[in-house]
Amino acid sequence: MNRAMLRLSLACLVMFALLLINVTYVQAFKATSLASGPGNVRIFDEQFQYKRGSIVVGATAGGTTGGTTIAESRLGKGGSTYHRYYPFGPVYAPVTGYDSIYGPSVGGTAGIEEAENKELAGTDPRLAVHNLIDLVTGKPRLGATVYLTISPKAQQAAYNALKAQGRPAAAVAIDPKTGAILAMASFPTFNPNRYATLSGRRLNKIDLAYRKDSQQPLLNRATQATFPPGSSFKVVTGSAAFGTGKVASPQSTVPAPTNLQLPGTTHVLINDDNEACGDGHPQLIYAFTISCNTAFGDLGMKLGGSVLRAYANKFGFNNPNLTVPLPVTASVFPRVSNPDFTAFSAIGQFDDEVTPLQEAMLSATIANDGTLMTPYLVQQVQAPDLSVVQSARPSVLSRAVSSQVASEMKTMMISVTQNPAGTAYATANQGIAGVEIAGKTGTAQNGVNNTNLDDAVFTCFAPASNPAIAVGVIVKGGGFGAAAAAPIAVQIIRAYLGIS
Amino acid sequence: MTAVATHSGAGAAADPAAAAPMPRGRRSTELLMLVFAVGVVLAAYASAGLGLNGKLPAGLVEYGAAFAVLVFVAHIAVRRLAPWADPLMLPLAALLNGLGIVMIYRLQEAGRGGNPGNVITTMNTSTTLYQVVYSAAGIAAFIAVLVVIKEPRILQRYTYTLGALGLVLLAIPAVLPDSLSVVNGAKVWIRIGGFSIQPGEFAKLALAIFFAGYLVAKRDVLALAGRRVLGIDLPRARDLGPVLIAWGASLLILIFETDIGTSALFFGLFVAMIYIATQRTSWLLIGVGLFAAGTYAASKLSSHVGARFTAWLHPLTHANVFCTAAQVHCVSSYQLAQGLYGMGFGGILGTGLGHGQPYVTPLAQSDFIITAFGEELGLTGLMAILLIFGLLVQRGLRAAIGVRDPFSKLLAGGLAFVLALQVFVIVGGVTGLIPLTGVTTPFMSQGGSSLLASWAMIGLLMRISDTARRPAPQSIQDEGMTQIVRAR
Repeated sequence: MNRAMLRLSLACLVMFALLLINVTYVQAFKATSLASGPGNVRIFDEQFQYKRGSIVVGATAGGTTGGTTIAESRLGKGGSTYHRYYPFGPVYAPVTGYDSIYGPSVGGTAGIEEAENKELAGTDPRLAVHNLIDLVTGKPRLGATVYLTISPKAQQAAYNALKAQGRPAAAVAIDPKTGAILAMASFPTFNPNRYATLSGRRLNKIDLAYRKDSQQPLLNRATQATFPPGSSFKVVTGSAAFGTGKVASPQSTVPAPTNLQLPGTTHVLINDDNEACGDGHPQLIYAFTISCNTAFGDLGMKLGGSVLRAYANKFGFNNPNLTVPLPVTASVFPRVSNPDFTAFSAIGQFDDEVTPLQEAMLSATIANDGTLMTPYLVQQVQAPDLSVVQSARPSVLSRAVSSQVASEMKTMMISVTQNPAGTAYATANQGIAGVEIAGKTGTAQNGVNNTNLDDAVFTCFAPASNPAIAVGVIVKGGGFGAAAAAPIAVQIIRAYLGIS
Repeated sequence: MTAVATHSGAGAAADPAAAAPMPRGRRSTELLMLVFAVGVVLAAYASAGLGLNGKLPAGLVEYGAAFAVLVFVAHIAVRRLAPWADPLMLPLAALLNGLGIVMIYRLQEAGRGGNPGNVITTMNTSTTLYQVVYSAAGIAAFIAVLVVIKEPRILQRYTYTLGALGLVLLAIPAVLPDSLSVVNGAKVWIRIGGFSIQPGEFAKLALAIFFAGYLVAKRDVLALAGRRVLGIDLPRARDLGPVLIAWGASLLILIFETDIGTSALFFGLFVAMIYIATQRTSWLLIGVGLFAAGTYAASKLSSHVGARFTAWLHPLTHANVFCTAAQVHCVSSYQLAQGLYGMGFGGILGTGLGHGQPYVTPLAQSDFIITAFGEELGLTGLMAILLIFGLLVQRGLRAAIGVRDPFSKLLAGGLAFVLALQVFVIVGGVTGLIPLTGVTTPFMSQGGSSLLASWAMIGLLMRISDTARRPAPQSIQDEGMTQIVRAR
């Protein structure tokens, strides 16, 4: 019987060998992928036992020195658990989102805390070697530091300006040459520090109160909310007109009746307050400067819905895959074929929808000679040992228009702020702004039968001669774009360029 | 006796003085190893307290002393009752038992969700104390086995009695109404008053004895009679009867108690023992084939078994980690996923006792205690624990090989194998190697039945090992062919 017994011993050996191999696989090789498995509460909880990485803004360009910390983990009173602290409270809330005992905010409140969670928590595979070394040397695990492209001056100015005017609004600023996001503010917003509580009951109460708030403070309007672009869409329509050769130059004249009868319907397209547009055959630059609807409605019908849509897409519309790395709601330019709807779409009405980020991208494209750079927030990710694990490389999102077309559009946008007849002359001329701004206003009607207050929209870049910043601002129910939105953009530009 | 003949034939007659080097009982080795085991357990206990509260646990002295006294009482009993027994079995079992108590203490202190005021389901504020008391009862059972069973072969007399007892014990939960037999969804219990007993744990021992007795009697007929087909010796149809009964019984357990784990243990035990007895591969093939067919049919017929398969194949994806009451067809793999997350969280070196979150995994104190160790002691600690189990199995198999009497040999082989199989089924189950089935982790899981049965099993194995290593009787005088044998 001993021979059978020896074989049985071999079977036992195999069973134990299988167990040992399997636990080695699970604990040594699969540990990293398990860490991000669905419902892994240990990793969430762990963030309060280990130091999560900080989020820093305003470090030297391309480098990681200096800068202002906008989110960090601090040791609590007992000295055993860390809690998240946001030194500027609501100012950077749309950028950071929040981190709580249930993990970082997601959905419409998702910020860098969620988008860069693996890096901040130190579970990213690229940090695995550092973690292993820390494990062996017995040092507590640390998360990586995430450096953002945000300019503290621009962000603070944007938040202050939005808060001062009091209506639901958002502003985004981009460096047109790289796509680096310089400011991203939303109002009303929330205080992420309130989510840092370690008590689940309190957290639920705070979260519920924010959720029930009809002002929607948790919504990041800069990237998640869409509004009708109104006349600011004329930047796209104008680009299409030049790009297709339908209009030779800004000085070419275009038909602009006081009432544009839309074919096949009883609808009539009118200008603001039913005013005439010059003599009815103005130069395009004049129609753009005073924002005649009929001129651009007529142009839109001549271009056709599909051409307009193609140009809109080149400017970044209808792209559901854009992440900065926060998810961005796609701005919409619909498929239109009816001439009447095309006319409305060409002036940013009908079903057109944009995010404030998209508004900034419109100007950024023109400012960067017709090339749209991919917007991004993360400049660099630095491991706890100060080595760089990720560094931003600016990339082209689309070559929207030729530099010739971009230069023609720039001329027209300068006219909007510098020509005394321009819609934004009163609020954004060089004397007020201290810099030459090129821009376009929008005043979008919305609501059922346009009964709501108009949304105020402004897209612009500055300095016009050598653009350093492109800004998009939308104020819900703000009224005229020039009156409500342009001053906010001016304040952001002045702060960023250091004009006192 | 064969033993005497062998001895006298091996040259002892020529030089009795040279044949007399007394084989060593190695009881001092056992004592040293026990001191080591108790030291490890106390260090783990202190470390858990420090990890949890930053100070030594309040009951360190009391619990420590109680545990030390328990194992040293067992040691003294072995010195008296089984002086030749294997010196490693007791320290290995004590180490596993002690570590189990430490983990249960640690989970009780942490509470559900890491909140000390919130006791983990199926635990209470005195679970650790109970576990110590059960350990005492286990060691008492261990000593009782050594006292009552002076010679393993006397068990052969009760072959059929114990067989019937084993089957009855197995069948009781299936027959009892759910209110008296279901705990945490498993219908494997007998609930009397405030107590619940898992009769399957004891049935395992009874049936191992029955199989050994039956197979020793029938091994020749099972091995030799029959036809040879395709190079495999097939048994006669009438000899298949007992195998079919064992198969049927394990299938019935599967169906009525929805307990694949226990059913696999019994069938595996039986197949292994019939293989040792007959050395016929055909029995192995028949057994494995029958079990595979039964399990496959069960997985198709029973949604419970099918769900286990789904959860095993897709613990994190297809089977939902979370299932709400509204999701009728959702297969929950929450427990399995949390166990794996815990192990991944522990990584290679572990979080350290008291620093992890093993309480997140449901039933971390019983079925999933291995993943709790994996989390807090890491891959390193888990490998050590598996090797302790492996060593214990190896010592059992060594006893089986060493013992001369076929009944004892079969019994020891079967017990050692079923221990290995049980560890494989539960550890493999919770670490995702095989589908999860609920059997206890020997010596470690919370609960008295398993501890008692495991200690009784160690008692049996040590008794057999004592028989195996006991030196053969020495002749008193050398008078040629006539020998007077010292009567015992």
